[in-house]
Amino acid sequence: MEDRLPRLAFSLLDLNSLSFSLSLSLPPSPPFCFAAIDLLYGGIYCFVCQDYIYDKDMEQIAKEEQRKAWKLQAFTPTVVSHYQCTMTGIGEKYSTWEPTKRELELLRHNPKRRKITTNCTIGLRGLINLGNTCFMNCIVQALTHTPLLRDFFLSDRHKCEMQSPSSCLVCEMSTLFQEFYSGHRSPHIPYRLLHLVWTHARHLAGYEQQDAHEFLIAALDVLHRHCKGDDNGKKANNPNHCNCIIDQIFTGGLQSDVTCQVCHGVSTTIDPFWDISLDLPGSSTPFWPLSPGSDGSVVNGESHVSGTTTLTDCLRRFTRPEHLGSSAKIKCSGCHRYQESTKQLTMKKLPIVACFHLKRFEHSAKLRRKITTYVSFPLELDMTPFMASSKESRMNGQYQQPTDSLNNDNKYSLFAVVNHQGTLESGHYTSFIRQHKDQWFKCDDAIITKASIKDVLDSEGYLLFYHKQFLEYE
Amino acid sequence: GCGYFFLDDTDPDPGVDIFGQVYNQWKNKECVCPNCSRSIAASRFAPHLEKCLGMGRNSSRIANRRIASSNNMNKSESDQEDNDDINDNDWSYGSEKKGSGNPNSPRRSKSLKHKNGKRPGGGYSSSSGISYETLGPEELRSVLTTQCGVISEHTKKMCTRSLRCPQHTDEQRRSVRVYLLGPSASLPEAEGSVENEGFDVSESQAIMSRLQWDGSSDISPSDSASSKASKNWGTNNSESRKTKKKKPHLSLVGGTPVLSSSKKKKPKPPAPPTPSIYDDIN
Repeated sequence: MEDRLPRLAFSLLDLNSLSFSLSLSLPPSPPFCFAAIDLLYGGIYCFVCQDYIYDKDMEQIAKEEQRKAWKLQAFTPTVVSHYQCTMTGIGEKYSTWEPTKRELELLRHNPKRRKITTNCTIGLRGLINLGNTCFMNCIVQALTHTPLLRDFFLSDRHKCEMQSPSSCLVCEMSTLFQEFYSGHRSPHIPYRLLHLVWTHARHLAGYEQQDAHEFLIAALDVLHRHCKGDDNGKKANNPNHCNCIIDQIFTGGLQSDVTCQVCHGVSTTIDPFWDISLDLPGSSTPFWPLSPGSDGSVVNGESHVSGTTTLTDCLRRFTRPEHLGSSAKIKCSGCHRYQESTKQLTMKKLPIVACFHLKRFEHSAKLRRKITTYVSFPLELDMTPFMASSKESRMNGQYQQPTDSLNNDNKYSLFAVVNHQGTLESGHYTSFIRQHKDQWFKCDDAIITKASIKDVLDSEGYLLFYHKQFLEYE
Repeated sequence: GCGYFFLDDTDPDPGVDIFGQVYNQWKNKECVCPNCSRSIAASRFAPHLEKCLGMGRNSSRIANRRIASSNNMNKSESDQEDNDDINDNDWSYGSEKKGSGNPNSPRRSKSLKHKNGKRPGGGYSSSSGISYETLGPEELRSVLTTQCGVISEHTKKMCTRSLRCPQHTDEQRRSVRVYLLGPSASLPEAEGSVENEGFDVSESQAIMSRLQWDGSSDISPSDSASSKASKNWGTNNSESRKTKKKKPHLSLVGGTPVLSSSKKKKPKPPAPPTPSIYDDIN
């Protein structure tokens, strides 16, 4: 006991006046004072008993004050992960929930309870098409079924920063989650959402068919701005320093390395991204045909039916070194001249939710068409081969490890797919979303139906949403 | 696995969703417009909002035309736009409306019909449409060579849209001609000109400028560096990092449920090679 005391700061308790004075050294021996409170745990030490004592009232006060203190530190919302359970130093201290008197009263007056079973439809709801708004409906379905977003909003973590909450898209998002989890079976009418998006993303405003990917990016952008109370996009937001929930979940870092062919100097930049747009075979841009298992490994367990392009193929193409020809020389800071170079993209930092955008449009000068090439995508995806760190180890001559089953950092699970049917000019969007562990549902505006995993994996795929399987502390 | 579960709809009924509700029963849903506080049918909220907020390419047209035609005797042109909502009620008269979606072509030709539509002067009231009773046979014939002409049960007026107006079928057009001009009347060939379907240059400029991203020149995730980067891959590209100019977004548009067997579908003329949002600026 004597060994411990010197390391703690004590606040000396004058029981008569209930005033405190701080002592950072050894607590003076009696009779100067009778008790002290240690500032870290709030325990009370009695000098007479020479021991810590327990006092119920003091415990209550300590608990309450502690809760208040932690709340003050919780200004920046942190990612709520399954594993967050102890003090991390920032954010909210985990505390068990205890009902207040009012809550107990409410519970007593409302005895009906909702039980979540596996065939429960809670969290599923249709969306009315407001007039060519199926592109918006699909993105709403994907977002409301993003587990971390759902956790964030349902645990009421959004604190509105906007001048008026009625113009806050994040508040509207919060309301959307309430609507989806309300248990209502009639489809929701997202008219307020449309109004808000049109007023904050003017380029999207207008009654016409639009692109779902474009809507996703615009919506994330407005949400990200509104998290900081930025109403009109004027505040200079350095996306690298933002810590809003949108950035925590969706923002990744894309590394671009340009290597000079002469001096081999590498110029590296890292840009933030919310999605990865992938070229497809069948477009006029040259696609690199990859024979199945050409590098001797089966990546992501995808069945390589010969001729079928996989998502992994597209990612491999995306991250391959590209030789920029003689007509595209880059000024090398090492050589101080324009030199030929190679460029390579890799993932520096993966977002918690990775959105892959298959570029299903042909964009050559004369030809405008939709590319309907089937691309097979997996339920589980390992992004390790495409990481900047993997590239570094390859370059350092380290043996390319086969996918390490113990390394869970880069493993992703599919949870939403947005599909388009039709042509470039006109069509219809539907989506598949995952609920509970392995149940999939098809969302076609107001109509929600059960879908099989096969339905999902056989679909054409336009936007693919993957969620990191294992979350860690920063 | 942790056992098995039963679902309510293990034998999925094709017309029923996961809640056991029949499809397409939500036609009468309404909502209150946050801008004007009127009660609007949910499935028509988007077009309403576009006009209500004065957005979209058609709203300024309406306003400009109003100003331009305020001195013009022919007022029905501008009124036509405003009365689209009313005309749309004609859908319910014997038309094959599917689902909660919209008429098949959201890109109404209404904004462009004035380019090639010749209006017979005089003889009709200031509200939309033509009252066929006031026209003589020659005038009727003339009107019916350039306009749809289908008589609205609702207003008893003739539709003044183009011969390929999506609101009425060829069948309807044929029968109105037979009715008004006699059994020998035939439907004039739909015009070969493609103006109705495409954009004019000024429209596409407007769209392109609308597609430019607002926002700072600092790269933000909405610039989608990946999509910019991949777009620049190819043989003849200059370094991609230099171009800060934001490209128009290449996209797949979608909005309405696909109408599988619509009588109203006509062969689409080939899209004109106007500068469009799908072109690569560089």
